[in-house]
Amino acid sequence: MRTGLIGGIALIGTLAVVACGGSSSPTATSSGTPKPATTGNPTTAVSLSESGSSLLLPFLQELVAPLTAKYPNITLAPSGGGSGKGITDAIAGNSLFGGTDAYLSPSQLSANPTLANIPIAVSAQGVWFNLPGITSLKLTGDVIAKIYSGTITKWNDPAIAALNSGVTLPATTIVPLVRQGSSGDTFLFTSFLSATNSTWSSGPGFGTTVTWPKVAGEGSAASNPGMVAACHTGCIAYIGVSATTAAQTAKLGEAMLANKAGTYLTPTPASIAAAVTAGAASIPSNLALSLIYQDGAQSYPIVNFEYLVVNTTQTSSDNALAIRTFLEWTIDPNGGSTAAFLGKENFVGLQASVPASVFSAIQAKIATITG
Amino acid sequence: MISARADKVDAGRADHRLSNTELTRADRVLRAVSGVASIVPTGILVVIAAVMFVTALPSILFSGFSFFTGSVFNFGNLYATTTITHNGVQAPPHAVYGVLPLIAGTLATSIIALVLAVPISVGGVLMLSEIIPRKIADSMAVFLELLAGIPSVVFGLWGVAVFGPFLSAHVFPALTAIGHVIPFFKGPVGQGQGLLTASLVLAVMIIPIVASTTRELLRRVPILAKEGSLALGMTRYETVRVVTIPYIRTGIVAASLLGWARALGETIAVLLIIGDIYAVPSNVFGNTSTIAAWIASTLDGAFGDTTGAGIHALAELGLLLLAISLLTNFAGRLVVRKVSGGVLPVGRGV
Repeated sequence: MRTGLIGGIALIGTLAVVACGGSSSPTATSSGTPKPATTGNPTTAVSLSESGSSLLLPFLQELVAPLTAKYPNITLAPSGGGSGKGITDAIAGNSLFGGTDAYLSPSQLSANPTLANIPIAVSAQGVWFNLPGITSLKLTGDVIAKIYSGTITKWNDPAIAALNSGVTLPATTIVPLVRQGSSGDTFLFTSFLSATNSTWSSGPGFGTTVTWPKVAGEGSAASNPGMVAACHTGCIAYIGVSATTAAQTAKLGEAMLANKAGTYLTPTPASIAAAVTAGAASIPSNLALSLIYQDGAQSYPIVNFEYLVVNTTQTSSDNALAIRTFLEWTIDPNGGSTAAFLGKENFVGLQASVPASVFSAIQAKIATITG
Repeated sequence: MISARADKVDAGRADHRLSNTELTRADRVLRAVSGVASIVPTGILVVIAAVMFVTALPSILFSGFSFFTGSVFNFGNLYATTTITHNGVQAPPHAVYGVLPLIAGTLATSIIALVLAVPISVGGVLMLSEIIPRKIADSMAVFLELLAGIPSVVFGLWGVAVFGPFLSAHVFPALTAIGHVIPFFKGPVGQGQGLLTASLVLAVMIIPIVASTTRELLRRVPILAKEGSLALGMTRYETVRVVTIPYIRTGIVAASLLGWARALGETIAVLLIIGDIYAVPSNVFGNTSTIAAWIASTLDGAFGDTTGAGIHALAELGLLLLAISLLTNFAGRLVVRKVSGGVLPVGRGV
């Protein structure tokens, strides 16, 4: 099925070349400087298969048409399947890219030395609640950890009231929602709880699957939109920013989370960018970086890079050229990294948030992709 | 027609016993093909068990006995700079694989389903065969067969979209009254996903299995014995109690085991309904998971672990489910043998 789809897209790409009468010579080839990478339209049609993160999928799907419009011989063919599938597919070579909410660890990279983590956008996670009449609450990671541990069970608990003077809190029972199975969102959320509450850190800890403490009435959902749908009165849920619009439509309230400096913030382009600026002041050469609970007065505490994992040693020079071109174009504020494409998922562009040195480090990594 | 065919088969078998030299070419081909075919089921089971064991072996070494007694399951920090090594097996830091809550969830959902489904199935089928007129009963039985043919994912969707919300709104609140007697029924009823909803949907799924098997058994109860008991002046109820039930008792056990096996391994319907989180539920309405559902839903997370420890742990979980299924099957056969005492002709083909 998927192979057929990719094949079909590749065929369409080929037909497009024929239709263009073979006017497909490389366009922008700059040599001499190591960065930015050499990019351009490859001479033969290349289909860029991607599998992985369901969070990244809608964004990549938006890029398909404009990418081919700009580079007729490059066709992007994204499919979902989850971050784990993205990573294993990239390692096995089943797809050219693996989309993932998290980076390949140094140990994974040393086991697969030709793979590279390429950040392409910045995402974040909001904490939402459903209390009719209340649109905004201040919460700390410590209090949220206590809610998910079952030690705070009512919305009018003194610990929540103390953070929200002036707000009349109902005596409603809190219903914590969690993600089913293994989830990158669970990883980000529990990383935040572990960073802010020592009992959580030494108890459930963090991971894509954790053993949730016993909380009466807790609920679960299979995806970010599922979390929105399952968030009935009294609920609290962690929801990736890609589902922010859905959460607003459902009349959920978004919590302002305390950052390390004690400022209460919601995930906005500014607060997300501030976290990236603080967290990515320097970046390791493997581009693997956690952006959870960063310093900085205006830094939102639950932020992450969205990555594509790619093999830097490609089987053909055209493949490598197409991959470099796609990646460069995707992070280019005049290409795929515009508000029009990023905005629908509430992602934030790289160049708008990371320091110039980090942006060139990412470009330099893209330039190492050869074939 | 059928009996004639059976005669031929029997005759062929007799020929084969007589002498090999009289075999035609077709006979030899049949013998070779059926010989190979007879090895396939055994072979597949052995190969699957062996492959599962080899894949699970690193996990068995890593977790040891705590795999079965532990109640924490975490693939660990997949993004750490280091790995940990235990008994020569690599895993991400903080990786822990203890599956006791899954064993509990699997047994709890399947046993609750069985306890609910068996009386309904047997009672319903007795009604169909003994009381309801034949013509109506036959058309009702068609629905039973149709129920058995509904794909489990449809049951799952129905459970999560319709049945669960209905239960949590109208049925579960009333059930909390049982909480005064059984504390496990106390507390919030949730939003329709959870242990009890999954058990109820599983019960609906195994009713056709138990019922249609029981119906076949009822057909085999000799009419003479029933007529005799009626002639002796017994009521219908007494006939059912004294003649029919004892005759099919072992068969009911066998049918229940078939249903149990189905409930143990059911994946997608349970995955959709049970809430599928790693937790011991605080009451019977709470979210939890089963072995089958957990393997399916965390496979992607396990793939993200390039040390392979996550996949090995899921393989051991699969091996465990295989072992539980085989154990219940053997236990069932043992029960059937004990109860039947080798006399009754039914219920041997579990």
